[in-house]
Amino acid sequence: MKRALTIALLATLLGILLFGLTDLFPPAEVRPWAEMARAYGAGNGVASIVLGSRLYDTLLEVLVFALAMVGVRYTLKPLGKWREPVVPERGVVREMADVLLPVIIVFAVYLAASGHLGPGGGFPAGAIAGSGLLLLAMAKGIERLSRELHEGTLEPLEYGTIAVLLVLGCLSIPLNHRGSGLLVVFNLLIGIEVTIGAWVVLHYFASHRGEI
Amino acid sequence: MAAQIGTVLGIGLVFLGFGALLLRRSLIWKLLGLNVASGGAIVFLVALSHRPGAVPPLSGYPEGTPSADPLPQALVLTAIVIHFATLALSLAYAISLTERFHTQETGRIEAAAEEEMER
Repeated sequence: MKRALTIALLATLLGILLFGLTDLFPPAEVRPWAEMARAYGAGNGVASIVLGSRLYDTLLEVLVFALAMVGVRYTLKPLGKWREPVVPERGVVREMADVLLPVIIVFAVYLAASGHLGPGGGFPAGAIAGSGLLLLAMAKGIERLSRELHEGTLEPLEYGTIAVLLVLGCLSIPLNHRGSGLLVVFNLLIGIEVTIGAWVVLHYFASHRGEI
Repeated sequence: MAAQIGTVLGIGLVFLGFGALLLRRSLIWKLLGLNVASGGAIVFLVALSHRPGAVPPLSGYPEGTPSADPLPQALVLTAIVIHFATLALSLAYAISLTERFHTQETGRIEAAAEEEMER
């Protein structure tokens, strides 16, 4: 009974989705975005939407991201730490990390700082820097990296970044302040936020995983 | 043509993901299904922004070239980040549930939770 109901529900969903493939709903005209992008000081249509006309959406999205990371932190903290190192150290990874890490970090900063002109932006930059941290964690061991990053200062830095981002965003719209500089600041702050979030996920999932 | 292929692929992935979400019993399988469904939604949105012969929505191309729709692409950016955050949070909850009830089957977790409520 339950299974049949499930399959009927899925078939209905598939039917509704396939309905969109018919020619009843032709794809909408692309509204001219070049004017708007120029007004916000961007050369990238997506950046002018994400950090311009839909700025509040992005700010609240970053807030949701930070809240989810707080949830991860406080759900996994009571589970206790693993004693033995999670990832064994390997010489090859350590040597390659020395070569690759500067390139990864410079690329992440470049993407965040030029995200309003070309492809890029704060979110991909944060993801790239986070995978750089993953590489470093595999080379050095999670606990050592956590000590070297000063875990305690990352939490205030994350909340401070969120606060600055929200205040800047909420002030920029009523004051009607626009321009490329603002977009660069937004992108860099979002990049820092996403990097710290990726580090929280990496660290807590690797070191606090219960007894089973 | 590419847009049609993308749309069909996205719909298929959403269908597959929801199937796993509804029919599988293990928590991790359910979250994997949700993950696949979210990927399908992303593919669907990207296919929606495609136009024949269009260039990416960046300035620097000659005037008058048709460009892809930037709005669905901005939505995809939001979807990816929120998806990452919510997946991490739900996996953390799955770990904590497994730690407490020593199983990942939803039926057994429900039974154990009800037993605990009665006590």
